Amino acid sequence: MIEDKILYNTGSLDEFSEEIEKLTNSEDSRLKLTPKNADSGLAKLVLTLVELIRKLVEKQAMRRVDGGSLTDEEIERLGETLMNLELKMEELKEHFHLTDRDLNINLGPLGDLM
Amino acid sequence: MIYSLLSVKRNQEELNDLLNQLKGISGGSLSSVSYATITAVVSEINGNHLIADQSNAVEYARIIEALAQQFTLLPMRFGSMMETNDAITKMMERNCLEIQQNLQKVDNKVEYGLKIFCDSGKLREKIKASYELNTQSSIKTTSQIINSIYRDYVDKKLAEHRLEDLLLTFVDSVIAGITGSLNRLKAICKFRKMITETTIIDAVFLLDKKNERSLVHLIDDFKNQFNELDFVLTGPWPPYNFVETTIK
Repeated sequence: MIEDKILYNTGSLDEFSEEIEKLTNSEDSRLKLTPKNADSGLAKLVLTLVELIRKLVEKQAMRRVDGGSLTDEEIERLGETLMNLELKMEELKEHFHLTDRDLNINLGPLGDLM
Repeated sequence: MIYSLLSVKRNQEELNDLLNQLKGISGGSLSSVSYATITAVVSEINGNHLIADQSNAVEYARIIEALAQQFTLLPMRFGSMMETNDAITKMMERNCLEIQQNLQKVDNKVEYGLKIFCDSGKLREKIKASYELNTQSSIKTTSQIINSIYRDYVDKKLAEHRLEDLLLTFVDSVIAGITGSLNRLKAICKFRKMITETTIIDAVFLLDKKNERSLVHLIDDFKNQFNELDFVLTGPWPPYNFVETTIK
């Protein structure tokens, strides 16, 4: 049905189909909690929230750096903190066999979490 | 199962003829249930059991599409079911004003969808180069403290953060351009941005069907302005994204 509905297209139809597939196929990014995988399912949920908060903190920190309100020493300390947070997060992802893609839950009509 | 709510006005016979030509999901006959100026198109589902699979969803959309060719309608969500025709009449009675207002809003109008894609890497590079050319400065800050991995880390993150902001500003400028041009066609627009790395804009427009050619020309003009982007315009669709009624 969609082919009859295309009024204007500047890309290839294959690429368009791939993109639509990406937008609608959210199988990988669904949280699949079952009695058998409760541990890993819970880890995925918790780490997703931790990662979301970490990225928000990082974004806010960059706004402050960009605003020029921090001293060189404060920026130095901030860099150390953010770097350690990222490294710790990598360790946790490795421990639970999770990738960045796993931590981006699809929220249906709202799109991806991150 | 309810397919859509229609404004039939004085064309009840026309609707009956159309319903006789169509089949509902699982081959069930389509019929209409009316209250005041509103008509619901319905079919029976055996034992209230509906398989929510792709083929049924496509079939459901086809029926709404066929109805939308001739009537102003509000599409119902796939799987909208009520036990009896009486319950449907009561639902329309309770929500009559809201349904009529929504039908009035979409009267003689259709929906068009626009998706704008890009090669994310190339677009970021272009935006970065353009910023650096215009400001004669690097997107990265220069470390004041030499040999500091932490300061380098902040610089890297800051560059990413600034690039994201520039990308968002660029996307907002595309949206502002489209909205401004579509005002001439009296269109109602809804935009979602940065859906994925490559889908930077997902938009829907509600406008008179007679303006379809003008819309295509307008999008073609935008393509000429933004050669690095790919545009896909689809439609006309029933007004799926412009129904703002919560059924009570």
